[in-house]
Amino acid sequence: MIAIEHLTKRYGSTTVVDDVSMVIERNSITVIVGTSGSGKSTLLRMVNRLVEPESGRVLIDGRDTAHEPAHLLRRRIGYAIQGHGLFPHRSVAENIATVPHLLGWEPARIRSRVTALLEALQLDPAVFARKYPHQLSGGQQQRVGVARALAAEPEVLLMDEPFGALDPIIRDKAQDDLLDIQRRFATTIVLVTHDIDEAFRLGDRVAVMSAGRLLQYDRPEVLLKHPADTLVARMTGLSDRAMRLLALTTAGEAVVPGASDGPGVASSASLREVLCELIWRGVDSANVVDAAGAPLGRLTIATILAHGRPS
Amino acid sequence: MFLKSLCVAAALAFVAAAPSRAAVVVSSKLSSESAMIGEMIRLLLNAAGIPTIDRTRLGATPVVRRALIDGEIDLYVEYTGNAGFFFNIPSDPAWKDFAKGYELGAKLDYRANRIVWLTPANASNAWALAVRHDVAAAHHLRTMSDFARWVSSGGNVVLACSAEFANAGTLRSLERTYGFRLRPDQLIVLAGGETAATIAAAAAGTDGTNTAMVYGTDGGIVAANLVLLEDDRHDQPIYAPVPIIREAVLKKYPQIAALVKPLMQSFDRQTLQALNARVQIDGESVDSVAADYLKRKGLIR
Amino acid sequence: MSVLGVPVGQPRSARATARAARIDRLGILLTLLGATALVLLPFVVLKANRIAPGDPRALVEVLPRWAALGTEALLVLVAAVALGVARARARLAAALAGIVAVALAVAHAAALLTPPGNAVVRVAPGAGFWLLASALGLMAADAIARLRPGPAMRVLALAAFLAVAGLALAHGTFDSLSIMREYAVNADRFASEAQRHIALALGSLGAAVLLGLPLGILAHRVPRLRPAILALLNIVQTIPAIALFGILMAPLGLLAAHVPWAAAIGIRGIGAAPALVALFLYSLLPIVANTVAGLRQVSPAALDAAHGMGMTPWQALARVELPLALPVILTGVRIVLVQNIGLVAIAALIGGGGLGTFIFQGIGQTAIDLVLLGAIPIVVLAFSAAVLLDALVEALDRGRR
Repeated sequence: MIAIEHLTKRYGSTTVVDDVSMVIERNSITVIVGTSGSGKSTLLRMVNRLVEPESGRVLIDGRDTAHEPAHLLRRRIGYAIQGHGLFPHRSVAENIATVPHLLGWEPARIRSRVTALLEALQLDPAVFARKYPHQLSGGQQQRVGVARALAAEPEVLLMDEPFGALDPIIRDKAQDDLLDIQRRFATTIVLVTHDIDEAFRLGDRVAVMSAGRLLQYDRPEVLLKHPADTLVARMTGLSDRAMRLLALTTAGEAVVPGASDGPGVASSASLREVLCELIWRGVDSANVVDAAGAPLGRLTIATILAHGRPS
Repeated sequence: MFLKSLCVAAALAFVAAAPSRAAVVVSSKLSSESAMIGEMIRLLLNAAGIPTIDRTRLGATPVVRRALIDGEIDLYVEYTGNAGFFFNIPSDPAWKDFAKGYELGAKLDYRANRIVWLTPANASNAWALAVRHDVAAAHHLRTMSDFARWVSSGGNVVLACSAEFANAGTLRSLERTYGFRLRPDQLIVLAGGETAATIAAAAAGTDGTNTAMVYGTDGGIVAANLVLLEDDRHDQPIYAPVPIIREAVLKKYPQIAALVKPLMQSFDRQTLQALNARVQIDGESVDSVAADYLKRKGLIR
Repeated sequence: MSVLGVPVGQPRSARATARAARIDRLGILLTLLGATALVLLPFVVLKANRIAPGDPRALVEVLPRWAALGTEALLVLVAAVALGVARARARLAAALAGIVAVALAVAHAAALLTPPGNAVVRVAPGAGFWLLASALGLMAADAIARLRPGPAMRVLALAAFLAVAGLALAHGTFDSLSIMREYAVNADRFASEAQRHIALALGSLGAAVLLGLPLGILAHRVPRLRPAILALLNIVQTIPAIALFGILMAPLGLLAAHVPWAAAIGIRGIGAAPALVALFLYSLLPIVANTVAGLRQVSPAALDAAHGMGMTPWQALARVELPLALPVILTGVRIVLVQNIGLVAIAALIGGGGLGTFIFQGIGQTAIDLVLLGAIPIVVLAFSAAVLLDALVEALDRGRR
């Protein structure tokens, strides 16, 4: 749905983005990961033309983004950044309503959209709509930032380190919420982060960048099992790649028929979590149960270990 | 749209300004005497059916003079001796004579600026000395010559004056003309040039002061019971109040000259002192003193 | 342990220190000032006429016995509160009571000392009155500060004070005082000059904002220009006001003489025009500098978000940058307004009008009361402007960060 073709950007003598091409599928989450200075943020900002490329182009649904005025393009693309960038002088509701206002929506439609988004992000509209950003906690501000980015029902959502300012406990919840939102609104999300775990957790496909170049762009398990070069391998983690691989699969996906004694493990838990639980309990296997508690099968340590190797 | 309404507004302002151009803009300096005479002239013109605009108490001399020459005001009360400074001939002996000074100033101003000098008042507002009444009575002091005689014969004079008076030449000039000399311990030099302070010092006898530097028509002289010493040898230039007007305006309203003449001729030094006293000492308003004087003199009803 | 928490058996000095620590330090200063004012300095000055130096009179000499004793007793009470009471409301009440008492005392004294029907004698407030009023005012201001009122409360307090003072003046309470005598003589001129004064201050401010705001935005957007613009304005700022007025007279006079419509719309070499132009020039630097500073402190994340969401540069300026820079810009406006209210006084020298005419006439005639008639309203105007704008800035700031 988004085709990035040979994007290059230079600042002075430095090439910040070097001939990057990739195709992002509709209704997916693509995570661009890299260290600082890798050009990932610049690449993201070239999608909505906050940065204009030296050469190359971006096609959204086959249309070149350079062919319409930049500000009109951006009103169709959601944009959420680190530090959220909420407008301090506007209320939460007014912040969220920014792009709908720019698009000229009717007030009634804006109001209902704001309410719906606040509820979707678990912020009680009655309480939060009238508050101001400085009255919110960091986590609440981040959620409002996401709501604001989604307000005009964009098909594409760009996010630049959206969870960077959150502490670890909230960050996990926020990432879960994002997955939830993506499913609910069927948005195509392009997210930039420096955290490889976050990339693997969220991304359907992950693009690894370094020094402006795109090193590899594939599904997480492919990056783990078949890294394109040592740089990618180092970034995805050499010492604990097995654990990372296990984290990619859920118990429900790896369950085998059978039954065990003792309490079960949730089918939504990752194999890594199940392995740790089994070690902690000092047992070899456990039942896998679904959300309602009904048994789906079992997992043994041996089964789990098999998933942790490149096959 | 905005530009158009701006143009309309400007045009209207121009039109609105037009009729008021027929009115005579009467101005004056900041001092109460010139404001008072200016106000009297304005009331006279009004009574004769000439519309006026009141811009009295406009500013200091250079400001008011500039305004007249540029045509922004039409008439104000100047002092004859000042022409010496305007035309850079302050030491010309003509200034020391009332008639000659007036003629010289009128001629120069007309030639240079087309400004007409109307009838002057025969009262000089120049710097002068005034002594306490009791001292004047005791030593028979009426003129500067009397004063010089008294000082030279050892009189215990103590003069309060300003630094400018003492150092910029006025005192020296008087001493030379009248043949006396004041010692430093006979002088009390005050900062600033306010004659109200010197008059107050002489009246109260502060530090033995019995003589004050004054302006000839100061209102405080009579109130403080001082006697003004006459400049019998004409050492100082005469500063007689004279209304001056732009020629163009006078041509439009030639009757102004005739209207102003009886007013200016009614003034002498004592009259001006008394009028100034009402404003400066008693605190009456310039406007009410002016109107009252005109009524009493039968110049307006 | 004793009741005070100081161990019993401690030397007396320790307990005395504990008690002495509760005596308010400001109260000590104010009591000393007030006592000096009351005892050593004249309360009023009785002048035989407008410009005579005058005789000093103390409070006890000018008021009937009961009034004098009552006033002094009240002032002693106020001093006691100033020294020993910590509660801000009580201190404020005491200070206000003292101010009212002293004001009424001076008004009454003036009325008593003026022989009936005599319009020449002048009774002026003496140094003692001013010092006493200042000390009481300081006590009130300190008490208000301790209460830490919000912006709305401060404006209300100012309005209340002005209303009460205005009522007292209108009612004629102070009519016997020398300053009010000068006012009586100049009443109609006072109104027009005051209007002129405010118009000049506000007009020059308005013009400066109209040009300075865009100039500041330009200096912010084009960093290359910023040092040049600010340097130029700095140079203008260093020219003394009177000199600038004088410098402007000639070119404006030329303009008025040679351009036909210029004079019609009021451009002249003297009067309001050069004053307005000079004030406008002086006002530019604070406006431009504060606009630049205000825009610089706008959160870059908010601005990036604004652009990223699809606002055009103008929309971002209008909806995000300027609103967020507003508190800093308004601070610049406050600086300019207070500055201009003061500077307009000088416009009187070049025929510009305003309350300065009374100041300069008073100087020329050695009539201090006339000078005060011009000066005191200027101070009140400047103070009110400062309070109002500060409250506005604070009110805007509160809903922001």
